Amino acid sequence: MKGYLGEFEELVLLTIANLGKEAYGLGLIRDINERTSRNLSMGAMHSTLTRLEEKGYITSFLGEPTNERGGRRKRYFELTSAGITALSEMKALRDELWANTKVKLSL
Amino acid sequence: MKNSQHPSPPGFAKKAFAWWAKTADTEDLLGDLDEDFLYNVTEKGKLHAQLIYFKQAASLAFSYTLRKRKDAAAYSHYYSGNSLAMIRNYFKIAIRNFSKQKLFTSINIIGLALGMSICVLALSIGVSIFRFDEFQENKDRIYQVNTSIADKEDTRLYASTFNATADFMSEKYPFVEKVVKVKEGFSPEVQHKGNSMHFNGYFADATFFDVFTFPLLSGDAKTALTEPFSVVLTRSTAETLFKNENPVGQVLESDYGQLHVTGVIDDLKETHFYFQLLTSHQTFEQINSQARLNTDWVNFRDNYLYLLLKPGTNEATLNEALAQASAQAASFHPNQQINLQATRLSNVIPTWDISNGLGVGWDLPSLLFFMAIGCLILLPAIFNYTNLSIARALKRAKEIGIRKVVGAGQRQIKMQFIVETILLTFLALLGSLFVFYFIKPEFLDMVMAAESLDTSFGLMLVISITVLALVIGLLAGIFPALYFSRLNPVDTLKGEVRNRSANVSGIKKGLFVFQFFLSLVFIIGVAAIGKQYAYVFSYQHGFSSDNVLAVPFQGIDKQVLLNEFKAHPDVKSVTAASNLPGVFLPTQLGVTPNKVDTLPVKQVFVGDDFVEHLHMKLAWGEGRLTASNQNEEQVLVNQAFIQAMGVFETKSDSLAFTLADGTQCRVVGVLEDFNFEPLNEYISPLVFRYSLDNSNYALLTVNSADITRTIDGLDAIWMSIDQKSSFEATFLNDEIEKAYYFMTAQIKIFSYLSAMAITISCLGLLGMVAYTTENRTKEIAIRKIMGATNKSLYYALTKDFVRLIVISAMLAIPFSYFFYDYIFLRMLLRYSSGVGVIEIVASVLFLFLIGFASIYWQTSKVANTNPADSLRYE
Repeated sequence: MKGYLGEFEELVLLTIANLGKEAYGLGLIRDINERTSRNLSMGAMHSTLTRLEEKGYITSFLGEPTNERGGRRKRYFELTSAGITALSEMKALRDELWANTKVKLSL
Repeated sequence: MKNSQHPSPPGFAKKAFAWWAKTADTEDLLGDLDEDFLYNVTEKGKLHAQLIYFKQAASLAFSYTLRKRKDAAAYSHYYSGNSLAMIRNYFKIAIRNFSKQKLFTSINIIGLALGMSICVLALSIGVSIFRFDEFQENKDRIYQVNTSIADKEDTRLYASTFNATADFMSEKYPFVEKVVKVKEGFSPEVQHKGNSMHFNGYFADATFFDVFTFPLLSGDAKTALTEPFSVVLTRSTAETLFKNENPVGQVLESDYGQLHVTGVIDDLKETHFYFQLLTSHQTFEQINSQARLNTDWVNFRDNYLYLLLKPGTNEATLNEALAQASAQAASFHPNQQINLQATRLSNVIPTWDISNGLGVGWDLPSLLFFMAIGCLILLPAIFNYTNLSIARALKRAKEIGIRKVVGAGQRQIKMQFIVETILLTFLALLGSLFVFYFIKPEFLDMVMAAESLDTSFGLMLVISITVLALVIGLLAGIFPALYFSRLNPVDTLKGEVRNRSANVSGIKKGLFVFQFFLSLVFIIGVAAIGKQYAYVFSYQHGFSSDNVLAVPFQGIDKQVLLNEFKAHPDVKSVTAASNLPGVFLPTQLGVTPNKVDTLPVKQVFVGDDFVEHLHMKLAWGEGRLTASNQNEEQVLVNQAFIQAMGVFETKSDSLAFTLADGTQCRVVGVLEDFNFEPLNEYISPLVFRYSLDNSNYALLTVNSADITRTIDGLDAIWMSIDQKSSFEATFLNDEIEKAYYFMTAQIKIFSYLSAMAITISCLGLLGMVAYTTENRTKEIAIRKIMGATNKSLYYALTKDFVRLIVISAMLAIPFSYFFYDYIFLRMLLRYSSGVGVIEIVASVLFLFLIGFASIYWQTSKVANTNPADSLRYE
């Protein structure tokens, strides 16, 4: 299971965790774009979300109708326990690598 | 103002996205798009926001998310495919349905079978034509040289080319491996065992058998055509001449002199060549020894050239060479544009539009025309199927309803009906093959050179008729399938399907009218041609042909024979002619009114008293010709000749003219225009020249009580002069009748087509009437109980159909009048009598009779049943 997460996938999972109750498609895009100064397309974001859902790391549900979206509902995402496990395994792997480094990495 | 506060995203992108997404769930995606758009409008301005919207929508459209959601939406709980088991089930249901609905199944099968038979015939001929010359081993390297000649008026493409092209090509271009010159017009009159027989063939180079794949059954291919006056026969020619003897080495006596048979080839099949015998090209060169063929860049008629290229030569090289040859030819034709082209051997047939083609020109336009006629017959049969199937809705609606309730999707219902229709079409195909088997020999009999077609069942033909049946099945089945698959199961189970068959709907009315229109047009066609047929025999051609006997001379001493015949007591008068009046004239002759132009005229050589003998009318001068003196030949002409000559402002003496061979002629009499040729030919300028030597027939007017005895007497006279050949005599009227043979063929074709059109429309009528009456059984029973008479019942049942037939008659009568009178009959006969009123009336009556008979057959069944029975059955 170790190393199964891609870089972008990890980023998305962490952002979902960060946004908590407000994790929906456009919100995620804006957050990531701000932090990493990327220019994500909606297609790329939603594709990744769909893949993550297929892998069982996140689940989604529809929220209440919203005014600013013409009465359309938002699809919210949250981490599953498998998603949390995957993230923590990823972190453990990184910590291990950081701890064992022979070169001075801190700036 | 509202717009500026709440600018909406671009509608087009939104719609396109929604269309693309189909039924997939896109609520959250669209929401994201809108939210982003609103944010961007305030941050970046409207235009930029719209651009971003487009971009994001496109990125979503091709994203994995949307693809996945679309798949999910398309998935239904029922299995929507058509598995093999289901198809087997469809077959079973179809067969049960067929056996339950015998009348309708047979109506459809018969109709489709008749319609398809013509299509199968057209396909079998078409397939054969496209295979022409495919068997030739060198077919990819053989090219026919064609000549395109353009002048101010028009451009024409000739299959033939100049005499000199052959030598030019073979001497100058090393990539030309072999050339074959083929010349049309070798037509010897062979004297064989007391009979003279006429054959047609070509002059061909010795290389003919090297280049083309015609294996010799006997004889040596290398030397068969090297010597002058050697001939190669086809198998059937050899059999007519020599029966079981070996023909090679035999000598034929002919008007070309002695011909030596050097070989026999098999009969020609699927090739554009069409000949009974071949002779060497040297034969032509010897006969026309003064002609300088290798420098003749002027004459191109009847002169064909085939090039065998060395392997690996590409077409561009050949075209370059031909362009140089064209330039060479152009210097001999100052006012014309000459362009030589090459046609690959396998593309020679079928031609599209080419003049002076070799052999029988199987052209694509007439094939397409024939196919179109086939489709015209087939279409009504397809309409019938569609009509009747939808009319059956009431009976089958419950079946469809239950299928749908237990889970059949639209696609499956459609599939079921299409499978059923295709099954029916294949049954009809079997029927049409049966019909095809009978009409094929009849039809091929009427087609020229049909023996070179191979219409037996090959792989290509089987494939193409299978495809035909599939296409017809789909065409006929698609409308019923769509109709049934859309039925609402709840309505059908409640029995609330609107009963479409009781009142015939608009489209069906249209189809109906079209069918009867077509039938009537064909029937009037038969009547019209029949009338022309009767007309040409009663027509006064402008000469008397009654009691005139035609006796071919066959090399007897002509003058002696004529004198002896004249002495016979029953013979009133005697003359001679080269061609029989009333029969097609082949001879073309050039008249040169001035130094530049040539006027094509037809010539007839006649004996003494020809004009008086046949009672032709003189417009001017006298009808008696005498033998030519040294300077001028005395001739008779017709008025058409004088008119044609009048166009050229000739010298003051309008009665003298010169023939192309230099003969000076003087007109001594002008005949009134009359139809020397059959009525399908225009009256062309004619020249009558006096020459007993060139005459082929003795024409005798006889007046006798016992014609057999007279002929016996004449036979005795013949035998007393010449024992080598035998006396033959035919009445001129019979010969003229033979010249109208083509009309018999037309009548046959039209009768067959109209028989089919009528049968198909009546079958359709029968089916529709049967269903309407069946659906109105109860109504009729109640009417009867209320006291309706049989007569009023018939009226109630038939009035709709009668009205439709009347409408189609009203459309068909003016159409056929114009079509036949102004187009078709003009093409058939230049001098026709048109369509008569009686013919039209008779045709309409005939159609009405048949239509009423089929309506009556069905309605009488219903009208005569006991009303109590029909009401009790529920």
